Formats: sequence, C-alpha cells, structure tokens
Amino acid sequence: MSTAYSAVGWNRQKKIYDGWIAAFCISYLALFISLTLLFNSEATFETILIRSTSTLAVLLLHIILSIGPLTRLNKKFMPLLYNRRHLGVTMFSFSAVHGIFGIIQFHSLSNTNPLLSLFLSNTNYGSIPAFPFQALGFFALIIFFLMAITSHDFWLHNLSPIVWKTLHMFVYAAYILVVMHVMLGVIQYEKNPVFVLILFTGSASLIILHLLAGLKERKIDKMKFKLQEDGFVYVCEADEIEDSRAKIFCIDQERIAVYRHEQKLYAIHNVCKHQGGPLGEGKIVDGCITCPWHGYQYLPHNGQSPPPFKERVSTYDVRVNHNKVWLNPIAFAEGTEREGALL
Amino acid sequence: MIISVILIIALIYLLIGVLFVPFFYAKCIRHIDETAKGSSIGFYIIISPGVIVFWPVLLRKWRKALKEQAYE
Repeated sequence: MSTAYSAVGWNRQKKIYDGWIAAFCISYLALFISLTLLFNSEATFETILIRSTSTLAVLLLHIILSIGPLTRLNKKFMPLLYNRRHLGVTMFSFSAVHGIFGIIQFHSLSNTNPLLSLFLSNTNYGSIPAFPFQALGFFALIIFFLMAITSHDFWLHNLSPIVWKTLHMFVYAAYILVVMHVMLGVIQYEKNPVFVLILFTGSASLIILHLLAGLKERKIDKMKFKLQEDGFVYVCEADEIEDSRAKIFCIDQERIAVYRHEQKLYAIHNVCKHQGGPLGEGKIVDGCITCPWHGYQYLPHNGQSPPPFKERVSTYDVRVNHNKVWLNPIAFAEGTEREGALL
Repeated sequence: MIISVILIIALIYLLIGVLFVPFFYAKCIRHIDETAKGSSIGFYIIISPGVIVFWPVLLRKWRKALKEQAYE
C-alpha cells in the first residue's frame, strides 16, 4: 500500500524474494549450460540459449501455478505468494528471450518477414502431429506479455480488479498452449522422451494440487449452519479462533472472516479489495487485518483501510453467548463501523 | 494474405498506442488516477508498454472522467 505509485514496490521481504529468484535462475542456467556442454559439445550458443531459457520458463511457470493451490492447502507456503508477480515477470522475460532467439534462429534468414514466416513456414494446420507448434508458443508468449505489462497496481485499479483478474486467469490457457508447444516440438524434433515425461509429471502434479485445493475449499463452502437465532447463525466456539487470527465461514455463498483482536470478535467480508486475497487467512498486524497476499490492511471494527487509503470491505454483526459465536450473515455497507463482540 | 493483414492492423494499432503515450502522460493520467500524482519516472516507464497496448481503454476512461468532472 502506498500513496503514490513507484516503479517497483520493493521492501525488505520482496528484495529477499527477488534475490532467491535471481539465485535460482542463475544456478539453473549454469547447471543446464554445463550439462549441455558436457553431454552435447556440438550444441551452438543459440541452441543452448533457446533450450535453457525455455526449460527455465516452463519450470518457473509450474512453480507459479503451484503457489496458489499450495497456499490454500498449507499456510506455510504463503511467503511464496507474496511476490508471485515478480516471479511471473521473470518467467515472461525468459520466455521472451526464448521466443525472440527462436524467431531469429529459425525465421530470419529468408526474405520473408520473420513473423510471417513463423505462421507460414509450416502450414500443416490440419494435422495434429505435424501442427506448427511454434505458433502455439507465440500465442502463449502474447498472453504472458499482456500479463507482464499489467503486473502493476496501476493496471489493477484502471482495468478494474475483475478485468485484471480475468486477464491473468488466461495463464491457464497459456499453460495449455505451452504444453502443446513443447509436446509437438518434442514429437517433431526430438527422439528422447525425457522432456515429455518431465512435462507430463509437472502437468499431473499441477492438476492434483488444484483438485486437492478445490476439494478443501469446497469442504468449507459446504459447511451447514443449522442453529439460527434472530438472524444469527451459530458458527463455532469462541476459543476455536486464535488471537489476532480468523476463521472463515461460508454462509449463503458469502465468505466471512471472524477475527479475534484484543478480547473482541469482529466479522468482515473475506475478499480483499486489492486482488481478491483471502483476508481470513491473514493476521492482525499493528492493529490491522492484513491480507496474506500483498499486505493490504483493514481496521477490524469498520473494514476500512487506515487513512489515507480508501479501500473498504463489508462488515457483519457478531455476538458471543456462553462461549458460542453467532454471526449475522447480512452484510453492512462497506466501511460500516461495528463494535464487535466482547469475549 | 490474412496473416499479413492482421500483422499490419496490429502494427498500426500499436503505433497509435506509441503516439498516445506522451499525450496520456501530459493530459489524461491525472484525471483518471489520483494516485499517479507524484509518482516516479520509473513508474511511467514501467507502465508505458501497457499504455501502448491498452490505449483505447485509457482513452475511454479519460473521456468518462472528463464528462464526470464537467458534470460536477
């Protein structure tokens, strides 16, 4: 959160995060180049560059797509989510190097425009095994490009969170294009099945992780709250909620976070206004509910970001009776002050 | 042939976007996003590729903001 935009919102944690990304990428490239030179001394500089950047980009893409479900399955992975944006831009950068050098290597030596050559050098669009796989990679790169250039809060605010999120969900379409790009490339140019096996393992892992995370969320969403009293529903015992933490309840298809703070319980809408992060999975820092995704903050008693920030979320009435927590699922207007329930 | 036409249209679209960038920074950005006031040069550089690509969205937003300000 800041009052004016900066180019990159670095803080100590993000610098450490970026340091790890840089160390990982440099180590991977060094290892890949060393192994290639060791086992295939005839490989040219261009080939090594194209292959090392492509495999690194695919690896980073798998890590990026794993972070979401991993954090939903286990909060210990939350720090990985904090600066996923930089990981995405890094992945795009390596994809772009791979794409640009690929076009230079394979399409810039004829009289035809390289971009035209990309689409016209192989016109087997009706054949599955001979399909022009480079075109698929090109479209994936376009999606990564659009995601990378909008990876700034300016775009989140000006495209609107819904449009921004929708655009960034296209990463799954790009992933499918990448898988097809790699599979067809291997089928058409390689004899060694190791790349296909690695990619198959990666895809299977991603699907399993997403299914497990979806099942876990479904379990929360399907919880039934039978006991009702004056519009309030019984949700849990008060001591089930840790101090400065929350429990999330899904009532009437709305997720509500009930926070415990200074011997009181407060309830706010679970969705952060910044990028839709789960506020109930965060904690109270400096008296504010802090989103686990990017650190956006809200005051527990009114759901408003502390001044000068203007984000607001809905608040709810909560009460405690004989250690039982009762929640009214009817939302108050965003930013409405509620006094909370004394424990 | 179709691919050539698509590439030419895309190129023209992006060229308009490039021309839109200085206009956007000089006239539009302060009307559509108050947070941009006092932002660093690095910020303007980093959002420029997006301005080139999403210029119709920003143009529409600027016109809408102008109408709202005139109404007020």
